[in-house]
Amino acid sequence: MQANERRKMVEMKDVVKYFGSLKALDRVSLDIYDGEKMVIIGPSGSGKSTLLRSINRLEEINAGRIVVDGIDLYDPKTDINKVREEVGMVFQSFNIFPHKTVTENITLAQTVVRKRSKEEALKRAMELLRKVGIPEKNNSYPSQLSGGQQQRVAIARSLAMDPKIMLFDEPTSALDPEMIGEVLDVMKKLALEGMTMVVVTHEMGFAREVADRVIFMDYGVILEEGTPSQLFNHPTHERTKQFLSQIL
Amino acid sequence: MAPLRRKPKTIAGQEPLTIEVGDGAAIPRRKDVGMFTAWRVAFFGAIAMVLYLIFFTPDPYRNIIAFVPDGIWVTFKVTVGAILLALVIGLFAGLGRLATNRVINGIASLYVEVIRGIPLLVQLFYIYYALGRIVNIPAITSAIIAMAVCYGAYMGEIFRAGIQSIPKGQMEAARSLGMNKTQAMVHVILPQAVTVILPPIGNEFVALLKDSSLVSILAVADLLRRGREFASESFTYFETYTMVALVYLIMTLFFSKLISIMEERIRAGK
Repeated sequence: MQANERRKMVEMKDVVKYFGSLKALDRVSLDIYDGEKMVIIGPSGSGKSTLLRSINRLEEINAGRIVVDGIDLYDPKTDINKVREEVGMVFQSFNIFPHKTVTENITLAQTVVRKRSKEEALKRAMELLRKVGIPEKNNSYPSQLSGGQQQRVAIARSLAMDPKIMLFDEPTSALDPEMIGEVLDVMKKLALEGMTMVVVTHEMGFAREVADRVIFMDYGVILEEGTPSQLFNHPTHERTKQFLSQIL
Repeated sequence: MAPLRRKPKTIAGQEPLTIEVGDGAAIPRRKDVGMFTAWRVAFFGAIAMVLYLIFFTPDPYRNIIAFVPDGIWVTFKVTVGAILLALVIGLFAGLGRLATNRVINGIASLYVEVIRGIPLLVQLFYIYYALGRIVNIPAITSAIIAMAVCYGAYMGEIFRAGIQSIPKGQMEAARSLGMNKTQAMVHVILPQAVTVILPPIGNEFVALLKDSSLVSILAVADLLRRGREFASESFTYFETYTMVALVYLIMTLFFSKLISIMEERIRAGK
């Protein structure tokens, strides 16, 4: 496919973000294409989570430009809630709503935000629960689920909005090792269906298998990018080599 | 070689140490077993004492107890009315204190600071006479409003603390799904905050029940005022106030217990 034919889903231009005096993002520019699977790696504090969270404006940037699906996030006319309907987000700490059942977690935003009927929302919830492999947990409360199951509910909750792009912020980092696989499997299935995905992760196996492009970040800068085989087998930057030797 | 930078670690499960000193009655928890908890001794002791006095010294005690029931009803009405209104005021005060909008935040903070800095009795007089200049409403209504305005400030702090106790990720998750701030508050944050907020609100209810005796100053015929009316006619001050004190004690102990049962239910149903 020619690069100029592909539609840009996210355009970031010279994005700067400070936390106090700490520069978390230092003039980062990045385009993410429709249907692309992008994995962002890098040491803690490198700015990769901040980058991801700025795509749905959970982090407000200090300078630069972010356009998602043709909508400038910082245009005064932009309704950020409308943009967020199209951008799914999965968190490291799941952030499932503990006072609601699994089904209610998945139907809430459908009815409140998308204004779907109860029946329609419920039908979609059951479809998605089957997809993530836990239809039998529909009436359970989050506290009755394992971490892996909770994260799968969180993925289903995001998918219920029928987003155009899914952001994953270290989705397996809070999980016990034996539960990582079940969450990654759901994400792989999603990738095969052609979802546009941006994933911050330390799971290099997943990155090799799924990613179209891997980005290495450090000090709030994209130091290196390429296909998984380029980046993992032939890293050019010294920091990338060092990071990979520590993590692999 | 630059070392890996790490985020500061937080120690999971470590809560900051807090000391709770309520002014409510000592309510027995599940762990306080046995017949002779302070609550049981006080509650059944007070009832036994009232019955003993009525039966063995009917004059004046039976006359007192026959005279005050409509006062009990007024006390109850003032308390319930004020707590309900205070909840509404408190919700807005709490949300206002958390607002990022400087004007709203400023107004809410000012309200809380001013109210907390003025004695309740002074506020009661002030609001009662201030309202009296503007509108002509029954004494009991302005008493309820005055109590609610005062307790709303304390309630606001309870709401604020309750909302702040909900992890930040909950709001982020709700907003990420496209909910606006109000939708996220109504559907995600407040329902969770209720379990945190309810115990201190129960304490406020009992405290308000006791403080409602202050409205007797404002020509509101509550329990204390009815007692005072009886005493000044019969010159049985000691006997009357003994009875009034016992009735207040029984009421506060009863509601304390009721609230603690409710709390346990909610915690169990969580």
